[in-house]
Amino acid sequence: MTTRILLADDHAVLRAGLRLLLENQPDFEVTGEAASGLEALELAEKLQPDLILLDLTMPGLNGLDALPVLRKSAPDARILILTMHDDPQYLRQALKNGASGYVLKKAADTELLSAVRAVLRGEVYVHPSMTRVLLDDMLTDAPAAPADAWESLSEREQAVLKLVALGYTGAEIAGQLNLSVKTVETYRARGMEKLGLPNRAALVRFALKKGLIGVGGP
Amino acid sequence: MKKTFGQKLLWRAWEIIGAVNVRVKIMGIVIGGTLLLSAALALQMRASVTRLMETQVQEQGVSIGRDLSARATDLILVNDLYALRQLLLETRANNPNVVYAFVLDPQGSVLAATFDEGFPAGLREVNEAGAQEHHHTVLLNTAQGYVWDIAVPIFNGQAGTARVGISYDIVQQTVLTLTSQALLTTLLILGLSLLAAAFLTFILTRPILELVAVTRAVAQGDFTPRVRRWADDEIGDLADAFNQMTAELARTDELRREREQLRRQLLEGIIAAQEEERRRISRELHDGTSQSLTSLMVGLKNLDTICDSPQVHAQAQDLRNVAGQVLEDVHDLAFQLRPAALDDLGLPAALEHLVNEWQNRHQIRADVVIHLGAERLPGSLETALYRIIQEALTNVARHAGAKNVSALVERRAREVVAVVEDDGLGFDSAHLNGSRLGVAGMRERAELLGGKLTIESAPGAGTSLFVQIPLPQTEGGAS
Repeated sequence: MTTRILLADDHAVLRAGLRLLLENQPDFEVTGEAASGLEALELAEKLQPDLILLDLTMPGLNGLDALPVLRKSAPDARILILTMHDDPQYLRQALKNGASGYVLKKAADTELLSAVRAVLRGEVYVHPSMTRVLLDDMLTDAPAAPADAWESLSEREQAVLKLVALGYTGAEIAGQLNLSVKTVETYRARGMEKLGLPNRAALVRFALKKGLIGVGGP
Repeated sequence: MKKTFGQKLLWRAWEIIGAVNVRVKIMGIVIGGTLLLSAALALQMRASVTRLMETQVQEQGVSIGRDLSARATDLILVNDLYALRQLLLETRANNPNVVYAFVLDPQGSVLAATFDEGFPAGLREVNEAGAQEHHHTVLLNTAQGYVWDIAVPIFNGQAGTARVGISYDIVQQTVLTLTSQALLTTLLILGLSLLAAAFLTFILTRPILELVAVTRAVAQGDFTPRVRRWADDEIGDLADAFNQMTAELARTDELRREREQLRRQLLEGIIAAQEEERRRISRELHDGTSQSLTSLMVGLKNLDTICDSPQVHAQAQDLRNVAGQVLEDVHDLAFQLRPAALDDLGLPAALEHLVNEWQNRHQIRADVVIHLGAERLPGSLETALYRIIQEALTNVARHAGAKNVSALVERRAREVVAVVEDDGLGFDSAHLNGSRLGVAGMRERAELLGGKLTIESAPGAGTSLFVQIPLPQTEGGAS
């Protein structure tokens, strides 16, 4: 049984190359080529392919926005992203919108075929250099400090840390709390040590988690 | 130079005098002048009146004595001592200045006297007039005050001597009365002078105080107030000159503002054009060049698969490697010019990628938290924040010697705050040279959007860079 593939990429020469690459495999058949997101939607609905090879950057409707619609119009098709973008956010968005795999174009000649096969097997394929992003997402979710650590801080330390988390300068904090800059530094260092937080970013993450600060300021 | 004691004293006096305000100075001059004048006049008047009175009273005494001597001659010759005493008593009664009167015979014994309670001891001998003398006066200090004792010879001294005591009191009293009158006048004039001086100082200081008030306003950048020309004098000229200067300053300030405005507009235009150009080239590299390179690689792979020749195989492999390398370079270049994510996905995605790339390239741990809510920021704000943080990270990699960096972007009620903080060497932020570290460029970008940039650092304590940029009013803040 041959696998029917839809190519969606706005670059004609690349599409031709990919077709050749895929059709060199005896069990693969490229049934359609789309040069834009809208065209891809039309063809997907008409052809109901087994796999859609989707570029993210296309004129008109781009790949990211086309993804959820494609999922609906061709529910059985697996979608493999083939893109130039190595930004983590593109990867996250693509996976969230229903892509089964994410291959970078710089690896099109080496990894594409194994990625296609992996996705067809029902696995998720992500370009190796980008799996780290997903791992980091998971790891930074871990709680940074014990829940009761905050309550063990003095009132002054809490006040200083809140303002530090809100991105105020040392001088501004000193002004608001009527302290010297030096004292603010001391409170901050002591509070951070008690919470076991290495830097301001970690403190902000902690404060957001505890609900100490919210979007839109204090 | 060492100051002598006198110089020090003068300096101290000037310090005290100089510190009081103009009103007090003018009042002081008026009071001092009036008092000096009055005192001089009073002293002079006292001296001349005293001299005049003394002469007059003495002359009166002499004439009384002469009169007495003339009238006593016959009485002495007939030895009518009773009439002589009556004459003396009458003389004293008629002249209030006469304290006493008596007559001595040529041997010096008392013939008659006005004294009721005995003749005072020693009075006889204190004065004597020679036979040829007209009269002889001696000033006595008695229990009744100063008295001029005037001796007048009777009948050329052959019939004895008439002596009259004239009181000095009248002189003293007159001088005292005159002095107290002068004092009263002085006080009156002093009061009037003070009133006049108060009015004068009011006239003098009112324009000066107004000048001071307007100068303060001008110093604070308010060029609208003008000084009134109160009088047609030097202060009036000063007011005119001042107004002219203020007008000139206002004009210059206006010009400066216009230039600054123009410069900002130009800079804004340049930055916008630069970003647009970068965006265009980046897109072109990304969508055009990279795609072509990818198709080249895929094509070579196909060639490789189709052709069995080992030579073609090797060549194709090499070319694919070259194309792959060029693709990487082009990709990096496009990213450095302007990441597509900044336009397509927004600031958080672009920053995350930037920090990741930076972290991998420089092997410095970077922690980033972006907390902006769902709503995207205006494009110019996103670009500015991205470029500032990019520059800040470049600085950290170049200069800080840091092990950890944390970057933070947060939305507050009416502004967006970004913080880039490292644990590196730091520096003395008081001596921050504006052009160094690209700080001027970052600051300019923040200020173009009405924001500000603050750097806090100390040697050994790392560096924190803060950017605050207000959100446009129409958008408002997320709640």
